[in-house]
Amino acid sequence: MQITKLEQMFDVLKTRPKKRLVAAWAIDAHTIIAVSQAVNMGIIDAILVGDEAVIKSVCVEHGINPSIFRIVSAASDVEGATKAVELINAGEGDFLMKGLISTDRYMKAILNKERGLMENGAVLAHVTVAEPMGYHKLLIFGDVAIIPEPDLNQKIAICNYLIKTARLLGVETPKLGILSASEQTLPKIRSSYEAALISKMAERGQIKGAIVDGPLGFDLIVDKESAQIKGVKSEVCGDADCILFPNIEAGNTFYKTITCLMGSELCAIVMGAKVPAVLTSRGDSERSKLFSIALAATLA
Amino acid sequence: MNPITKLSELAEHVRSRGSMTRVAVAAADDSHTITAIARAVREGWAHAILHGHKARIEQVCQSESIDPALFEIIDHADDVTATKAATLQVKSGAADVLMKGLVRTDVFLKAVLDKQQGLLPPGAVMSYTCALEIPRYNKLMFISDTAVLPHPDLNQKAAMIDYSVKMARRLGIQTPKVALISATEKVSPSMPSTLDYAQLCSMNKRGQIKNCLIDGPLDVFLACDPEAGEIKGVNTPIKGEADVLIFPDLESANSFYKGLMLFAGAELAGLIQGTVKPVVVMSRSESAASKYYCLALACLMAEEI
Repeated sequence: MQITKLEQMFDVLKTRPKKRLVAAWAIDAHTIIAVSQAVNMGIIDAILVGDEAVIKSVCVEHGINPSIFRIVSAASDVEGATKAVELINAGEGDFLMKGLISTDRYMKAILNKERGLMENGAVLAHVTVAEPMGYHKLLIFGDVAIIPEPDLNQKIAICNYLIKTARLLGVETPKLGILSASEQTLPKIRSSYEAALISKMAERGQIKGAIVDGPLGFDLIVDKESAQIKGVKSEVCGDADCILFPNIEAGNTFYKTITCLMGSELCAIVMGAKVPAVLTSRGDSERSKLFSIALAATLA
Repeated sequence: MNPITKLSELAEHVRSRGSMTRVAVAAADDSHTITAIARAVREGWAHAILHGHKARIEQVCQSESIDPALFEIIDHADDVTATKAATLQVKSGAADVLMKGLVRTDVFLKAVLDKQQGLLPPGAVMSYTCALEIPRYNKLMFISDTAVLPHPDLNQKAAMIDYSVKMARRLGIQTPKVALISATEKVSPSMPSTLDYAQLCSMNKRGQIKNCLIDGPLDVFLACDPEAGEIKGVNTPIKGEADVLIFPDLESANSFYKGLMLFAGAELAGLIQGTVKPVVVMSRSESAASKYYCLALACLMAEEI
């Protein structure tokens, strides 16, 4: 079944065996509340790694029964992240979530060469799934948070993550638009010519499982009429499931436009490690955190 | 018009036009050049203006039993002035085709490329296209660049496509299939030409390059053998029926056509394009038939439509 609304993820997860979340240094109310909601909905099981006394007192304060979690003690944020990653490597958890630890310390634990979660040469990237108002389905895009200026290989990796995400959300053959300022192939604009390369690679089966087209302007990617007016014939135009952004500024601005100006819901995860990792920020709504947990569970 | 599939048909087409093309020959002092042009003049489709050492030209005519009265002969003291004069004649519109005779290639090209008095418009790309007749291929194959551009960049590749497509269309192929040749069909940063190819395909898809159907990278099998696509599982609109083959560099293009001539009995006609009018540069090693076809092709391409 193709998921076209974020909350449909919950229904799908309820029909599957529960995945196990491991939250790194989960000692704050934001994290604990979001995880408890997911556990109470019956879509995941959870291990909270952190100071047990603090976790329990936050639970009491917010009327949460701490026995719904497994709690693993850690004395500091760094130890919490290290232990969380160890639990994943030991097969005791299926995906990771960041608690009250800085993003760089959290990432460091994931990226640790000996004891982290990266396979050789893997690219870590951020994938967002949004439910933009006025669009007829979910939109999956990246990278808006981790890789500032992806090179060709990183772009290909991001494309593969977008495609994988779309497929796991039930889109059989996702349509992926590669963003540039225009649909013309302009050799002097990197986003434009790399889009042409990636499209050709997809045509040759070097990127599988999706219909890929680019360069395309944003209007052409999401609006069929614009494509008709400009005379661009492409299956992707007006019906894209995925968008590859050329850089973090473009992607991040789109992400924030969706949340700040459109008030639409979205969620996000980090892909490229052995397991999906949730990386919510405190600015995210409770609902968005819950969706991010559900997304990671869907992909785990 | 029906597509021309053989070089003999090309010559027949040129003969039957009933029009005369004016050919200026630079340093026409050798028997190869004079023999080739004499045939065209006798058949009535070329008017030849021979620039060179008049006495030597007449001597050559005599030894080849050719009547010098077939030609307009203009006397020059040396190769350089003869070449400059022939080039200028084409530039001024007094001749339609420039042909190289017994003058060193570098001297000849220097005159063609001269900024003030040469034939190349500012910013234009000069390139060499051949029409190949291969006994085991059922139509003519246009290939580029076999002689001028050693390592064409993206812009030069686009010009090579443009010239080859123009030539193919002039020979009656409405929408030529252009294969961009590499060793594999995969796009790979380790093979820079494949990156250019992907962009050229994209430009074609977006209508930035018109009048043809482009695909690449493709290897020669995928480009020219209809069964290869199926065997390799590559879905290409070229379908093994390429009209135009664009090569990544001069070495590969040059080896391709020389191999075909040597081992497969191929025959060719070729010329320089990008100049205001076609330029014929024949090597002495080419057969008499090839030289005749080169001239016919140049005369056809010189026509204004």
